[in-house]
Amino acid sequence: MEKFETAVDVLKNNLADAIVELKVPRPRKAYILLKSERHRDAVSLLLKHVEESMLSTISGVDLGTEIELNYHMVCGGTVTLKNRVPREKPVTKTITDILPGANLYEREVFDLLGVVFEGHPNLERLLLPDGWPKGNYPLRRDWTPPLIQENDSGSEEDSQNNSEEDDVGSLVSVVVGPQHPVLHEPERFNFTVDGETVVDVKPRLGYVHRGIEKAAERMMYFQDVFLVERICGICNAAHTTVFCQAVEDIGNIETPPRALYLRTIVHELNRVHSHLLLLGVGGHLLGFEALFQHVWRDREPVMDIIEQITGNRLMSGFNTIGGVRRDINPNTVEKALKTVKAVRKRAVFYKNVFEEDATLRLRTEGVGVLSKEVALKLCVVGPVLRGSGVASDVRKDDPYAAYAEIPFNVPCYDECDTWARLMVRVDEVVESLNILDYAFNNLPGGRLRVRVQRKIPEGEAVSRVEAPRGELIHYVKSDGTAYPYRVKVRAPTLANLLAFPDAIRGGYIADIPSVMGSLDPCFSCTDRMAFVDTANGQKWRWSLDDVNSHKNRRVLL
Amino acid sequence: MAIDLIFFVRTLVFPGFLFLLVLVLFFDWFERKVAARFQNRMGPSYAGPFGILQPIADYIKLFSKEDITPKQTNKFLFVVAPILAFSLFVFALFYIPIDGSNVILDSSFEGDLLLVLLLVTLANFGIFLSGWASLNPYSGIGATRILTQFLGYDIPLILLAIGPAFLAKSLSIVSIASSQVTVPFILLIPWSCVLFILVLQAELEKDPFDIPHAETEIVGGYETEYSGRKLAFIKLSEDFQFLIGASLVTVLFLGGFHGPVFIGPAEFWYVFWFIVKTLGVVFILEYVGNVSARLRIDQVVHGNWKLLIPLSILSLALTILVEPLLRSVIG
Amino acid sequence: MTKKRRRLPALIKDMGSCLFKKPFTQEYPFVSVQAPEGYRGRQTFDPEKCISCGLCERDCPAKAIELVEVSGKRMPYFYLDRCIFCYQCAEGCPRNAIQLSTNFEMSTTEKDELLVKAEEFISKQNISSDEGQ
Repeated sequence: MEKFETAVDVLKNNLADAIVELKVPRPRKAYILLKSERHRDAVSLLLKHVEESMLSTISGVDLGTEIELNYHMVCGGTVTLKNRVPREKPVTKTITDILPGANLYEREVFDLLGVVFEGHPNLERLLLPDGWPKGNYPLRRDWTPPLIQENDSGSEEDSQNNSEEDDVGSLVSVVVGPQHPVLHEPERFNFTVDGETVVDVKPRLGYVHRGIEKAAERMMYFQDVFLVERICGICNAAHTTVFCQAVEDIGNIETPPRALYLRTIVHELNRVHSHLLLLGVGGHLLGFEALFQHVWRDREPVMDIIEQITGNRLMSGFNTIGGVRRDINPNTVEKALKTVKAVRKRAVFYKNVFEEDATLRLRTEGVGVLSKEVALKLCVVGPVLRGSGVASDVRKDDPYAAYAEIPFNVPCYDECDTWARLMVRVDEVVESLNILDYAFNNLPGGRLRVRVQRKIPEGEAVSRVEAPRGELIHYVKSDGTAYPYRVKVRAPTLANLLAFPDAIRGGYIADIPSVMGSLDPCFSCTDRMAFVDTANGQKWRWSLDDVNSHKNRRVLL
Repeated sequence: MAIDLIFFVRTLVFPGFLFLLVLVLFFDWFERKVAARFQNRMGPSYAGPFGILQPIADYIKLFSKEDITPKQTNKFLFVVAPILAFSLFVFALFYIPIDGSNVILDSSFEGDLLLVLLLVTLANFGIFLSGWASLNPYSGIGATRILTQFLGYDIPLILLAIGPAFLAKSLSIVSIASSQVTVPFILLIPWSCVLFILVLQAELEKDPFDIPHAETEIVGGYETEYSGRKLAFIKLSEDFQFLIGASLVTVLFLGGFHGPVFIGPAEFWYVFWFIVKTLGVVFILEYVGNVSARLRIDQVVHGNWKLLIPLSILSLALTILVEPLLRSVIG
Repeated sequence: MTKKRRRLPALIKDMGSCLFKKPFTQEYPFVSVQAPEGYRGRQTFDPEKCISCGLCERDCPAKAIELVEVSGKRMPYFYLDRCIFCYQCAEGCPRNAIQLSTNFEMSTTEKDELLVKAEEFISKQNISSDEGQ
């Protein structure tokens, strides 16, 4: 919390002439409107004066005549620096030279809102397909699909030869994805290899775009809860928690304490099963099938508890704006406590396995090294950051839900390699189980939810949670209606993805799975923006309404 | 005429081709079932009692599937390599005495152990060719990995196989097996046996050495482009290789087909003991494979040249040193 | 954090014991599996209670409900292929006409079977009342 106050003071003292407006509506949340083009000064000031400060994301909002760029900086809390650029000529200066971690975020804004960042090293498409017509920016408010169809022809880019580069000498291109056993979701990585050594890698995202951010603008707030839940199946509780928090923040809704505890419980159950899933997958990626099967077997009781508490194995549908949707009965608590105990025993055993097993250690130690400095510069989050020696955890730094009252530790390793990143997760499983133990035993009574109007007052809010894969941030802007004006989601994998080329360069082909696995990529989280089908020539069909009306017709006729 | 009939029956039915095929399918099932039980799964359960017919069902499926030959490949090699590998493995297996003598009667000769090892290496070269002919980056990497791995691991394998041959004072498989009637060599030179099983693990592409077809790294490795019948041949040759590996351990260290003979024909008991012993070896191979993660190719190569080759030389030296002491118990 | 020494695989004992354990996996669908109480499965609908308010149709985030005129009353059709089983409809229903069931077995080869019509529930009730008479 001190860090946050220093950050605000530093900006106040050194940049008084550039600040147009400064709001601190809640503890650890500041919104600062800067004069045009002064964002670079503010970012470098924060980086210089506040230790371990990073960029969460950049969210662009179309305000009509201007496009507002919100630079969400993490310094204890969240300092949102606002830089406005004219919509007619959306050009601004890049911050990638000060902070390389902004690379993908600037590309994302360029891709979807058409803001050009001068001086960006490779301002290319990030999420939209290569064949997407130029001059169409889906996240602008006035953008509608028919606009594209009119000028569809002519602006077609060749989507085939963008990635296939000529092999140079002994270098061979190995394309991993969109379909490959190491990837459980479609994404493409173009590896350049020399024999068995990886020379370079180029990721290409966007294979699982579903237009969720745009679709969210067309649905009511309470419906959006179910929409953001489907950004990612594994960390669905994290997405709903963070979205509800943001909306509650805007509407000044006080969530009852029992609801906060229940949210924490589901959130932590999510973390336990997500980490166990990854540790099992880690075993599979390293060719350790028995470990894979054993870990997943022990994950199953956790899934059963989630099913019993929320009504579904995966999609919890548990959180809602103003509280939670169902209560938990004493029988379930008793059963859950037993499961927690049993799973903890197994988690401790697996910690031993990961520490002692010779072949596992051979494969993970010293592999995919991501030093602390690089990790901070690339703004990685979550277990990846903690595996690189930075004890940063939103639950500790910026407590939400019931975390302020629950005692827990933040595991952190200094080895910076794949092993460290896996160990962080093993330790976190144990910590999460302790949190669950505490939460179940200290569950406060009272109401489950408060009644919330469908219309949310005008305002904006940034909300962060520690999803299993790292910091998850949602930015919600409301214009006083029942529909959000803008929902921006930054999933942890997008932040961690930038670190992958750095971690794998110089490694072996055989290290690709283990390093990739240790970053725990979740591409359905990362790609959300537009629904595109390049394969069958159907260029796109994106809105939920469109899809639905289409389906309706087909069923009814 | 009678001799010819025996010849045909022995090669084609028992203990030749048909019997070996059934045996291989049975071992495939056993291996899968054991691996599943190690992982607390059920394994094959639906085809036949305890799923024992599952491997047959799988091969029938593979044989009936569409067979694709990609345009870019070297067609001749692409088709011939899997069949070549398969037939070489079958040929090698003909020299393993299952019912007390080789499949082709009196074909045993001084040095057939070396021939079997040579045939296995050659067959692996066939598998390498199949990957190389695919012209796919994954297959290419898988194929080079085979060469790197097998050429290295053949050296310790042969060195370790020489140990029992030295004790038996013969390079013929039948006489090596026969000289273990009283005491199997595993009790006399256990160090050799342990190393042999470890090296075999590499030779059979089992964890921690299943690098040539590490699916999370290079998809299917050398078999990426194969489908249908040709894939079935590759899979069959892998299974045959597995049986050869396990039976080599049985013959060299466990006394081969020798065991107590009860009522009935001696051949029946020979076959029985041979299968039981080999199943035990398969069990151990599976155990080792399941408790370890896959190593990296550089680690495998280093492990071979820096660790296994010196160790196997040492073990051979040790065998030669203690041989006079053991002479009295060898039959 | 000091690292422990490398040792033999720790899973050896664990795996050995698995040989004598029952498999953890189940032979579904040959052995039936019971979903826990409160599981959000296929909805059930009570036409008697329905007041045709249309809240379910309006609130459904997946637009999987459509009100259709059935025997003189507007009642919901459920498109299960689109339903996300969030139960917003059951939660919002002012008369509790939509209720949950734990039936999760919905796989089918015919997409039309995934359209649950309100008539189905009416006919069921009629049959049972007929039998009563």
